[in-house]
Amino acid sequence: MITAERKPISEIKEMIAPYRKILVVGCGSCVAECASGGEKEVGLLASAIRMDAKASGKDIEVKEMTLDRQCVYEFIDQLNDVIDQYEIILSLGCGAGVQAVAEVFPKVHIVPALNTTFIGQTKEAGLWIENCRGCGDCKLGVFAAVCPVTRCAKGLFNGPCGGSRTDRCEVDPEVPCAWQLIVSRLQDRGRLDLLRKVHPPADWSKQQGKGPRKIYREDQRS
Amino acid sequence: MDQKSAGLNVTIFFCQQLDPNQDVNRRGLERELGRQLRLFPLPCSGRIDSLHLMRALESGADKVYVITCPEGACLYREGNMRAKKRIAYTRKLIEEIGLEGERIELIAATAGKPSTIDQLVRELLAREASFGPSPVRAK
Repeated sequence: MITAERKPISEIKEMIAPYRKILVVGCGSCVAECASGGEKEVGLLASAIRMDAKASGKDIEVKEMTLDRQCVYEFIDQLNDVIDQYEIILSLGCGAGVQAVAEVFPKVHIVPALNTTFIGQTKEAGLWIENCRGCGDCKLGVFAAVCPVTRCAKGLFNGPCGGSRTDRCEVDPEVPCAWQLIVSRLQDRGRLDLLRKVHPPADWSKQQGKGPRKIYREDQRS
Repeated sequence: MDQKSAGLNVTIFFCQQLDPNQDVNRRGLERELGRQLRLFPLPCSGRIDSLHLMRALESGADKVYVITCPEGACLYREGNMRAKKRIAYTRKLIEEIGLEGERIELIAATAGKPSTIDQLVRELLAREASFGPSPVRAK
């Protein structure tokens, strides 16, 4: 899931200040799961904006809408019938959602209400942790489904740094040492042999340095 | 001046486990105070959500109370603790738009002191009004 956090209201207010008719648009997928951009968060933010405007004597119109996904055209199309009524869209989608909506409606001003943060998992209620950097060269099969690129503070591929204390990372004692996890799991599975291979440095060209990445699949195209 | 005399609009969410006869006991108060008082029984205070609190303020409440069971006495174990966290979150949110966080307040009922909901509410309305009408309502 892609995680995100709401921007401070002051920053949001600055972006929407010149506009009077505002549509707050949420996304029912990743950002709903991480409680930053779903239907409820749309309601909270819209309420806050309306109250703020009322308290300062500003006459604005703020409506709410949540798409199932803001990054897929078929869902963005739901905005077709209403978009003309608004001067600005305040999106609670991730960065991908904001850009996708902007592409479909190039004439409408759209601004983000969230700061998109990382690809992660819901660890427990109210806690989300980063566990994937989207490096483009997944090695989870070798490392017992623990990503050393993301979860080791030093991004080590060939064993622990030796600095961990009681299974915890020396950089952040709240975080388990990724290499401790890798070794324990492989031990439990009887697959320590997977660690015999020496891994060359990560090939970051698969992640960065070539502009935006794309995935193209002929079989999925119409 | 107390909150009732100050004419504050008060919205109160409360755990209905506090008073088995809440349905009857709140009626008189509601008739007496009309629109000045809005009471919302909850099956457990853990049902309260930030959105309920925001909508209450947006609808014209000057003060919102959430009355919970005493700490450690929640029928569902930790509903009142959840209510506490949600109130804290919502307070921060309204402070971001310049409203006083104190406009939302958690009241934990006192352990060992059985009260009816109308008694509890009257006690709250008799409290000193520490601020005036909400700017959201006044404009």
